[in-house]
Amino acid sequence: MTRRTALAGSLGLAASAAASLPFLDPRYNHDHRPGRSRVAILPAAEYSESLCGALWEGLRLFRLSVAGKSVLLKPNLVDYISGAEINTHPLLIAAAAECFRRLGARQVTVAEGPGHQRDTELVLRATGLERQLKQQRLPFVDLNRDEVVATRLHAGYSGLKRLWLPRTVLGTDFIVSMPKVKTHHWSGVTLSMKNMFGVVPGVKYGWPKNLLHWRGIQQSIVDLVATVPIHFVIADAIVCMEGNGPLAGTGRRLERIILSDDPVAADATCARLMGLLPERVPHIAEAAKFLGNVSPDRIDQVATPLVSPPAPFQTVEEFEHLRENAGPQPAALL
Amino acid sequence: MSNENTFLVALERRLVSRQLPRGGWPFLAACGQITLEPTCLALLALRLDPNTKAQVLLDAQRPDGSWGAFAADDGPSGLTGLALLTLNTLGTFPDAASHAADWLLDAKGREASWIWKWKFRTTDTRVRFDPDKFGWPWEPGTCSWVVPTAFALLALKQSFPCCRNGQIAYRIQRGVDMLLDRACPNGGWNAGNGVVYGRPMAPHLDATAIALLALRSEPRQELIERGVAWLRLQSSSCSAPWSLAWSILALDAYDEPIAGLQKRLAALAERDSIEDNATLAVTALALDSDASGNPFEVIA
Repeated sequence: MTRRTALAGSLGLAASAAASLPFLDPRYNHDHRPGRSRVAILPAAEYSESLCGALWEGLRLFRLSVAGKSVLLKPNLVDYISGAEINTHPLLIAAAAECFRRLGARQVTVAEGPGHQRDTELVLRATGLERQLKQQRLPFVDLNRDEVVATRLHAGYSGLKRLWLPRTVLGTDFIVSMPKVKTHHWSGVTLSMKNMFGVVPGVKYGWPKNLLHWRGIQQSIVDLVATVPIHFVIADAIVCMEGNGPLAGTGRRLERIILSDDPVAADATCARLMGLLPERVPHIAEAAKFLGNVSPDRIDQVATPLVSPPAPFQTVEEFEHLRENAGPQPAALL
Repeated sequence: MSNENTFLVALERRLVSRQLPRGGWPFLAACGQITLEPTCLALLALRLDPNTKAQVLLDAQRPDGSWGAFAADDGPSGLTGLALLTLNTLGTFPDAASHAADWLLDAKGREASWIWKWKFRTTDTRVRFDPDKFGWPWEPGTCSWVVPTAFALLALKQSFPCCRNGQIAYRIQRGVDMLLDRACPNGGWNAGNGVVYGRPMAPHLDATAIALLALRSEPRQELIERGVAWLRLQSSSCSAPWSLAWSILALDAYDEPIAGLQKRLAALAERDSIEDNATLAVTALALDSDASGNPFEVIA
């Protein structure tokens, strides 16, 4: 080993230690955790027009108060690759829009800022979402190209004191995160909280939103969700993705829709449905300290019971410790 | 006046009508925030209009020579290369152009530093790329990506058509190397991740087109040919104006037939009202490329 290699190695270790420091030091001021959280796991065998009925019955369990409010549906649209289960299904988005209108929402808007593909219109067309938007006369806002406002972050994990965020998101009364349930090669899972990366505007941060990667994906997720509150979750777990998500994984059927009034509880439940341990996903574990509930003792399953899958979802090697019955958690992630 | 010309004039009028009172354009017609990319593309689309002035760009240049992504942005944008290319196309502004070129020559992706090079070579190898081959980032302190690198290359090649030496030649060559290194294995480019966890990633039409424009003056080689072939094939079925317009501009620069694509783009633009000003501008540029020239065709 040369002197230069040794020095480089030491600096590398120091950099890694510095990257994990934010999670050792709590960086939030308020505890927003509800006493109890509610989650509804709804069976849904396929994507069809009948989703609306099932979703309506599920939403009624929550007695949401959205009458007269503006509602923003934030689906997960990353890119279009034929045959790959990447994006929230258009029929579920359309069903959600119809339900919120029926609940009396003043305005329902669909909005997203894809992280990879700059041509959002191409994604809308290729996925079939554009047709649904037209049929339902639903406005869509490309959050990558919206007007932006400097916004102070309400948590300090990433060290980014503020982010420029889209005016449309900041001006909305009620935000619904609609993730596609997937494993993710950088963050372990991508669920309702990771889905909020889509509100970070490409116009400022580029494609991909690489600053968030450099500041720590897990840390940036927590900061973002602390700042832009998710009021409700509708997760598409009918056909999910496992393995090398969010783009190059394999489709896997769970045949469920997950609803929740707490994004942390929603993501914890989704992870458990995937056969993964939510307490080991750093952003879920950290968010559970001040944004929502991860413990099953504090989550009321108000529809069908939570049942683990016969085999946990496949992950990339770095996240195999998330799988149920995996060995002990690597110390570096604690 | 032919139907095509009438339609083009209508597109350009629509673009003029959406200019904000302070000059400049937002992305979305309903917004009021001057934004760099639509402003540059609109100025390029309207470059032959005698009323088009570069003043809005000159006013927006930051003291360090870069441009912010939008009015009130307090940091430099990865699209500073596009702004410099626009400025050069609109006229001769030696001070502003030289200041911008200096900024571009200084800015680089974070992987250019030796410690990050070391990290990407030893511990962080999940994305396949050679950190020695770096270009320009979207944001300072982040990695190089395809679109900002391609626009920076176009601007530098246009600004220094000959007698490139020292840092200029070095940065241009490094940027070209970076684009070639980040190509998708099956042809074309996406944001800049060609292979992740051993899996080849899918290319994007617009990134491929912009990368090919930046490589137009380079010796033809297999990666470029593969990119052109992929773009030719995929653009033939593309129905999104932004991607189709960029494809036309790139294929035009490579002397590929574009008449059929232009016809389809015009039909799309006529059928759908294009609300996005950047898309409207690049559509006008693509429809007008054979008559008025292609501002992205930098041959130097």
